[in-house]
Amino acid sequence: MLTQIVKHEWRNLNADRTLWWIILILAVAISYGVYNGTSWVAFLEGTIEVALQEEHDRLAKAQHTVANGLDPERASRSPYSARYIGRRMGLRYAYLPPGPLASLSVGQSDLYPSYFLVNTQATQRQKRHSELENPNHLLESRFDLAFVTVYLFPLLILALTYNLISSEREQGTLAMVLSQPVSLRKFVVGKVGFRALMALTLVIGFSILAFLLNGVNLFGMGTTLKLLLWISIVIVYSAFWFGLALAVNTIGRSSATNAIILTSLWLVFVVLVPSVVNLLVKTLHPVPSRVEYIVAMRDASMNARAEEAQLLSIFYEDHPELLSEDEQSHTENFDTLQWAAEMKVEESMQPVLNRFNKQLAKQQTQVNRLRFLSPAIVTQEALNEIAGTGPTRFRHFMSIVDAFHEEWRTYFVPKIFALHEMTGPDFDEIPDYTYLEDPEDRIANRILVALVGMIIPTLGVFIVGFSRIRHYPLNG
Amino acid sequence: MIKTIAHKEFLQMVRDGRFKWVAGIVFCLLLASLVVGWRHYQTLNTQHELAQTRVREQWLSQPEQNPHSGAHYGTYAFKPKTFLSSIDTGIEPYVGAAVWLEAHNQNQFQARPAEDATAVERFGQLTAAVVLQILLPLLIILVSFSAFAGEREEGTLRQLVSLGIKPSHLAAGKALGIAAALALILVPAVVIGVITLSLLTNLAEAKVDSGRMLMMGFLYVLYFSIFISVSLAVSAKARSSRLALVILLGFWIFNGLIAPRFASDLSRSLYPGPSNFEFESNIKLALQYGVDGNTTYREVERKRRTEIMSQYGVNDIKDLPVNFAGIRLQMNEDWGYEVFDKFYGDLHENFRKQNRVQQIGAAVAPLLAIRSLSMGLAGTDYYLHQDFAEKAEMHRRLEVKIINDDITFNGAEAGSKYVNGIDVWEKVPPFQYQMKPVSWVLGNHWVSLLILIMWFGLAGGPLCWTIRSIKAG
Repeated sequence: MLTQIVKHEWRNLNADRTLWWIILILAVAISYGVYNGTSWVAFLEGTIEVALQEEHDRLAKAQHTVANGLDPERASRSPYSARYIGRRMGLRYAYLPPGPLASLSVGQSDLYPSYFLVNTQATQRQKRHSELENPNHLLESRFDLAFVTVYLFPLLILALTYNLISSEREQGTLAMVLSQPVSLRKFVVGKVGFRALMALTLVIGFSILAFLLNGVNLFGMGTTLKLLLWISIVIVYSAFWFGLALAVNTIGRSSATNAIILTSLWLVFVVLVPSVVNLLVKTLHPVPSRVEYIVAMRDASMNARAEEAQLLSIFYEDHPELLSEDEQSHTENFDTLQWAAEMKVEESMQPVLNRFNKQLAKQQTQVNRLRFLSPAIVTQEALNEIAGTGPTRFRHFMSIVDAFHEEWRTYFVPKIFALHEMTGPDFDEIPDYTYLEDPEDRIANRILVALVGMIIPTLGVFIVGFSRIRHYPLNG
Repeated sequence: MIKTIAHKEFLQMVRDGRFKWVAGIVFCLLLASLVVGWRHYQTLNTQHELAQTRVREQWLSQPEQNPHSGAHYGTYAFKPKTFLSSIDTGIEPYVGAAVWLEAHNQNQFQARPAEDATAVERFGQLTAAVVLQILLPLLIILVSFSAFAGEREEGTLRQLVSLGIKPSHLAAGKALGIAAALALILVPAVVIGVITLSLLTNLAEAKVDSGRMLMMGFLYVLYFSIFISVSLAVSAKARSSRLALVILLGFWIFNGLIAPRFASDLSRSLYPGPSNFEFESNIKLALQYGVDGNTTYREVERKRRTEIMSQYGVNDIKDLPVNFAGIRLQMNEDWGYEVFDKFYGDLHENFRKQNRVQQIGAAVAPLLAIRSLSMGLAGTDYYLHQDFAEKAEMHRRLEVKIINDDITFNGAEAGSKYVNGIDVWEKVPPFQYQMKPVSWVLGNHWVSLLILIMWFGLAGGPLCWTIRSIKAG
């Protein structure tokens, strides 16, 4: 019987123009979204490539000078000085390579810096190199696949389902169907199941096709699991919308009323609840103020800086080349002094930095709980996680940058104090940066939480739908 | 006659349970967003003012040291919050709140609020502006999609026409009725808002610019009228009220969700900007080899040294009656200005071009027009940010110049051992930002204003035309 219903549904939909419009819109939106995401990833990868090339050339040149005993271009910028190599000339880029499914969602990656130029200076002096995006562009998230999935796909689902049962009744066919040996419940399962299967096949199929056409490698390391997680998120998210449409249909109103109710619900879950959550977040769990942080950092560094100023008062900060010749003989001494003074400043600032990071982490955990108020937020965050463009992967990246910074200093600081002169082979031992991906099971765990958070309301709407279906008015 | 129609339309709407619900929700959201927006503004404003004062104190309490060390410590400029940012936060979450003013470098802004936010930030903030720009149009659509189509379906349109009512009067009456229903939400919200505000704050102190507020209100009324006209025209033309609703919802989604994203993509691809890496590398390179790439800084420096020596008629730099280190530092600054002006200028110019594309994009989506005007009047748009950045940079240059002059003219004897204290710190005036007048705002957003007015005119035109040829059945 179920196969018969499905077959009939297929013929029905096939004859209706709506289906073909939906397929067309979906295809266009998905291709455009994936194209947008892929070009952003290409931009990020291009930047990293150019940066690494620059790093390679710079280090090769310095090594060449040292290995062949050539004179440096300027005495104050000497590649022989371990201090200068570790502070300016020999720096390496600590970068965040886009994840394998990064083109799925741009997420927050257009706000975060994607690389740091790690040097011996203190943590708070490591510069954040964020992309120079027009702030008007940042006002809204990009038209990527995540946008299509979170915003547009539910609308297409609703277009397929708003008159699921009501149209049958309005055409008078419902009574005829139910005079056959089939229960209304089975009939509805067939209809919903078929439509869900079709919608999912379309959206997942088109997405994979678009990924492949844009040259995304879907069979690489670690991609399969992410792909599966992405598919399960899409399935559960759309199940929520199908369930909602079913539940609204069982109220027994006309198709037109159903359409209005469902559109309002879409508005509530996709537009209203997220912005209200945003409002709640700002009121209940405000982010610790960066402005206060800046001032606190300066306060903390004041005393240490005063000492530094005394230490260095006869020298020009950062400008050994400005010293007279007899003073220049002290520059090596200056280096160690400066380093020691800087460490004092760093030490005094560390508590402020730690306090800020702790507050921020706490705030984000609190905010994360509020996401369950709307499946749209859960889905968006989960897609960002899978794409690796959310806060979690960025925090992981920051911890790797910190570790590399530590490694860098462990290598260079003793050399600075020993007034070490670089040799050719030394250059091969300069710490190399490698990015270690966040373990997959951690991402999987987070996605599982998201899935559970969506499955519960989804089950809720289905239960409501199926329990009400018994009381559905056949002639209404 | 129009009055009667408007009255009937208004009553029908207000007595409709659905309208009560939707209007109630919109009203609550508007009020909530106003209150939260205002609180948010107050917190931030206090923070920024305190920070600016504290940074000044820090600057003045620097110890006796080489003044150039002071220039390295520098100061910060914190962007002041405008009162109207409580209505429209504009691009504020996406631009830094502070910039470090130090020697040698024109820094980029730090502390972008959105960087610390979770993904929910990108769904948009619920500000009063968002309620007015996104939700109210939806409310308008929901109350007016059946204005004509519904009457036609119920057969009452035929009756009305047979009574000899002019269709244009009918349209005007319906538009007025809808407007009155909207006023029922907006007027109390505004009144409650204003009363609460005047009870809570000293309005004169908050620098409330009533001219700006009135203009903002007027532009929003214009924006709502566009939606009323479009909705009525579609309702008059559509075969059924269902179709009218689908078309209008389509337009709403396009206006609010698709068009802004598409306009960003378009402006980005028409005027692609440099990557941050490119930008910084170019600056680094130009600082060494000049903007033209052919002059090395060392050559310029050598030339200047000879010039200075001949100016003072000495043969050795040590015999100068001034401290050459100060001259050299300033020379380095002057050299940097040229480079920063070029690259930051180009970047800014490119953003302006991108913004122009978005402003023109308003031709297909009025949201883009009202959004840019609203931000402009609230003082939360890109242009004001850019102006603030320029003024901060001017202050940095002034600060560094004062210090370098001090080194040059007072540090001749002590040479590189020269130190100074409060005398020189006090010479640098505190940083203050002067707000821009409304005329300046309109100068930046005239394209949006023009397009919004055109929408108003054009939406009225087809309305008249469709109404004249309306089919009763």
